[in-house]
Parts: sequence; structure tokens; C-alpha cells
Amino acid sequence: MKKIIFIISVVFIMVGYANAGDLVDIKNGIKGRVNHEALYESGCNGCHVGSAREYVDDSACKDCHGSINDIEIDVSQLKMSSANPHESVHYNQGASCIACHAEHQTKKPVCSECHRTWFEEM
Amino acid sequence: MNDRRSFLKKSAGLAAVATGMATILPAHANTLSSTKWDEEVDLLIIGSGFTGQSVAVNANRAGIKVTVLEKMQVIGGNSAINGGWFAVPRNPIQLAQGITDDSPAELVKDQMIAARGMGNEAMLTRIAEKALPAYNMCIEAGVKFKKDFNIQVGGHNKARAIRLEAGTGGGITTKLYEAGVREGVDYRLQHKVEDFIMDGDEILGVVVRKGYRFPNEDTGHLVRIRARKGVVLASGGFARNMKLRFIVDPSLDPTLDCTNQLGATGEATLTAMNHGALPVHMNMIQTGHWGSPDEGGFGWSNALLSIGWHKGIAVNPTTGKRIMDERADRLTCSAAIMACRHKDGSPAYPLVFFNKNDHLGDDRVTRAVRDEMAWEMESLEQLADKFNVPLKQLRSTVEEWNQYVINQKDPDFNRKMDSAVKLEGPFVVSRVWPKVHYCMGGLKTDLDGRVINSSTLAPMKKLYAAGEVTGGVHGHARLSSCACLEGLAMGFIIPNTIKADA
Repeated sequence: MKKIIFIISVVFIMVGYANAGDLVDIKNGIKGRVNHEALYESGCNGCHVGSAREYVDDSACKDCHGSINDIEIDVSQLKMSSANPHESVHYNQGASCIACHAEHQTKKPVCSECHRTWFEEM
Repeated sequence: MNDRRSFLKKSAGLAAVATGMATILPAHANTLSSTKWDEEVDLLIIGSGFTGQSVAVNANRAGIKVTVLEKMQVIGGNSAINGGWFAVPRNPIQLAQGITDDSPAELVKDQMIAARGMGNEAMLTRIAEKALPAYNMCIEAGVKFKKDFNIQVGGHNKARAIRLEAGTGGGITTKLYEAGVREGVDYRLQHKVEDFIMDGDEILGVVVRKGYRFPNEDTGHLVRIRARKGVVLASGGFARNMKLRFIVDPSLDPTLDCTNQLGATGEATLTAMNHGALPVHMNMIQTGHWGSPDEGGFGWSNALLSIGWHKGIAVNPTTGKRIMDERADRLTCSAAIMACRHKDGSPAYPLVFFNKNDHLGDDRVTRAVRDEMAWEMESLEQLADKFNVPLKQLRSTVEEWNQYVINQKDPDFNRKMDSAVKLEGPFVVSRVWPKVHYCMGGLKTDLDGRVINSSTLAPMKKLYAAGEVTGGVHGHARLSSCACLEGLAMGFIIPNTIKADA
């Protein structure tokens, strides 16, 4: 998986037109994140096990990115330091990746249900 | 499994017609043996808030293998976003403050007054007696409470409420979750219980929508999980179920938002009722008149209005006139606030405002303004313009009010004037509208947490419930800081019940 990250990084640097995490057209009307393009090369099974309609658990994300507390984010973008969603006082390690992130569409993070002005749809 | 239920009834009926009652049991056994399970576990806990976490950790420590199902994409239910108050008679901070005459019985006395004759004294006593063990469990799990902080909150006769350092119950649910994971509790997100599989009034297992993405009901797929040692309903209240709450209390109209997490919709309660569980006090739903339409959840509004109710006034934006004694009780204020409507019936959110310069640097104000649920207004003109209030009337309302302050008398609503001050801009303004907060009603249990059957009024088998999903514990009003206590305390009671029933 580390190798895939390296490849993705190289592709990303070469393409250079979009930010990591931007939602782009992948193929057949399916959207995906630009830094995941290499994963789509092998179809859906880079993340989905079996049918693409099946449940995807966090391991699909964690295998490459690591667990929530270990993933660094750009803290300068936070409304305040205590509003770090990767170290949330409400959920901390108990938040699934997809509580805030979606692969094929934009999503409002779970935090914004209450904290309406703190986070943007990603 | 409504199908299963009706099928059992039908087959029993047919068998009875054909060969008499004696054949019912074999017919029953045959259908059960044909149930195909996708998975078998020991104890299944539905919900991951204070109750689910405490039952999970304590049952696991008692040697029972535990699986926790949470339908949302985060652990913690409403507990994760609650205000973080926890009533603990005889906690170390209280004792250090020199308060040595408190006891579980003193707490129960307060709760029974708030319950207005409808509380369960024996249950409240059992819960209060587990307050210290529950507190100690938190400390051992690394939970941080505010240092040297123990205060008296509404309805309590003593200072016994401690508060989480983080200011939210998430300070407990995150730590118990991490302890549970370390100790081998199996937690699963996005697992929504759709139905129970019963044998008479014994629960055998559940049908679960695995991979559920709230609120989309056709996501995921159904699996059947057998629960050998039973099922604990720790699924919380139903304050977010607009249809159900309106049925049981028609005064809770759809304009009322809710302080709860979005998943507090109570379908596990309804499923239990469908299988014979007895509900009580369903119409007893706590509402806070201190809500704001300009933020989600519980929010900052309650704390901001702790200034506003004393130092400011509440004005109807359509008339520019005061609407109530701002210091009156919750019911009086809710009624006055909800009477403010536009011609089409939509809410005309009342405005509460007070002097900005008297509260400079107060965190209750700065965070409210920062998060755009309150606004700083230089003058009455600016305020009237922003919120479309008739300026002439607003001016005379404030002039009259300032005279009331001088006279220390409020001829309009007879408000107690000792904390009132004259109003002069700039102002801090916020809008108010009540929010539904907590369900006192729910499933009736015995003192050990067994769900009561609505036909026999005896305990159902292997079906347990605790926390906000239950009813009849707090009667008419649950006191602040007592939901956290109840959930955590029941975690010390339910595992013993399960062991006794095994």
C-alpha cells in the first residue's frame, strides 16, 4: 500500500492541476478523489470487497492513510486549535472516516451538524 | 421479523384447529430451528452512549463476551455531544469543598420532587448508589473532569454536579470506547437493528442492517445475529422522531428543533413495543425554552441566555414588545416564545438582547458571536433593521423597560428585578425558539433492567434496557446531570442481571 501512495504522489505531482482530495470524474460517470486515481485502475476492488454496493469499512482508508489520530491535517485551516476533527472531544477514535469524508461525492462533516460555521463541505 | 411473528401465530392457530393445543410447541420449535443465523455472539448491546459503553465495559470485565452495535458513523450516540454534567454524591471534589452531608438518598429526594409523583424511587436509589463506582470507572479509564469543579445545578439541593474538562459527554464516551477496544469489546458502526427474532417473549437475536448509512434506509444489507446471552437496548431516546413525538405530545410542533444527535429516532423502542415490551410515560418529553434556531444541537444558546434572561429582555420581532417574564420557568417561557408567529404561522423567533459592554471578554458571548448564533448591534436602529422589528415600538419598549429598572418593578410581567439593568447600546442579540431535549418515557423495566412484557406484566426473557430508552424512572422531569449518572450506573447493574439469568 505504501507503494501505491508513492505512485499516487508521483502522478499527482505530474498532473499538478488539482489538489489532493479534489473530486474529479473518474470514468463512466463515477466521481472519485484525484489522489485515488491509481486505485481505480484495478476497478472497484481497490476499496470495495466483492460488490461495489457492499459495505466498505474504514480499513479501505486506514491501510494507506493510517488511523485518525495519526493523520496530520493542516491545522492552520482550523477555526481554532480545539476544533481538530482528527482529535475530536466528542468522538476521537470512535469516528469512522466516512462520518466526514466521502469518496464519490462531497460530504459535510458530522461536526457541522452542530458547529455550522466551522467546517466546509469536502 | 413481523413475518416470523405472524407466521408463528398463524401456524399455532392452524395447529390448534387441527389437533388441539398440544401441537403448538412442536410447530414452534420447527420454525425456530429453521432460522438461519449469519453470526452468533454472546451479549449484544444496541447503542454506544453512556449506557451502552458502561454495560459493555462492565459486562466484558465480568467475563461476558460483548458486541456493541451502533447505527451511526460515530461512537457515542447523544452522550458524545451532551453537556458533560455528572451528578455524583460524595465525589472527592465535593468532599474537599467541605460538603459532607450529601448521599445517594439526598439526590433521590431531589429527583422525586422533580418527578412530581411519577418517579421510581427504588430505581433512582439503585442508580444513585452506583454513582461513585461509575465515577471511579471514568477516572480509571483516563476521563478528565474540570479541576476543583463541583457545583449546584437546577433542582439539586446540594453542589454535587461535576463536569467534564472537554465540556461534553464525549470526554467519557471516547475514553470508555478506547478502554473497551483495549479490553476486547467488539464495536461495530453502521449496524442498524431492524427487528428482533423472538421465541415467545424470549429474544433470540436481531436482524441488522449492516453497512447502514444514516438516514438512507435502503443502504447496507440485512444479516441475522444470534445473541446467546441476550440483548441490551441502550439505544437512547426518540426526541428526533418528529412523527412519534408529535403523536405522544401534540404541543411539540414541527417548528421545534432538537438538541439531540440526528440518530435519536427511537426505532429500537418501537421494535421492542412491537414484540410486546411495555412503554410508559411516552408523552413526558423535556423541552428547553433556551434553544436557538441559529445553531445545531444544544449549542451555546443556553449559556448565552443565562446572561440574557437576567440582564436583557425578550422581544417579539413582529410587534417590538416584550413577551414574558424572562426569568419565569421553562413552561411559561416556552408558551410565550412559541406564541410569536408570522401571519402564515411560521416562527417569528423572539430576540433576546443585553448590553455588550457589560460582558466584554465573557466566553459565553465571544463564542456565540464567533459562531454566528449571536450578533453585536451598535444601536436599536441597527437591531430593528437587521431583524425587521418596528423601530418606534422597540424604542418605547426599551424606554419603558429602563424606567421599570429604576422603579425596580415590572408592571407588564411582574418579573423579579434584582438582576435587571438599564439597556443601552451596543447590544448582543440572539434569537430563541424551544428545542426538544430528553425523553423521560420509554420501555418499562424491572429494577434489574429486564424489559417488562405488556401482556403478562412480567419480565421478558433475555431482553434488557437501560438509559434514555427506558421510561418511568425520572417521572415528569429528569434533573440536569442525571442522564449521565443513569447510563453509567446501569452498566454496573445489567451485567449482574445477565449473570443471574444465565
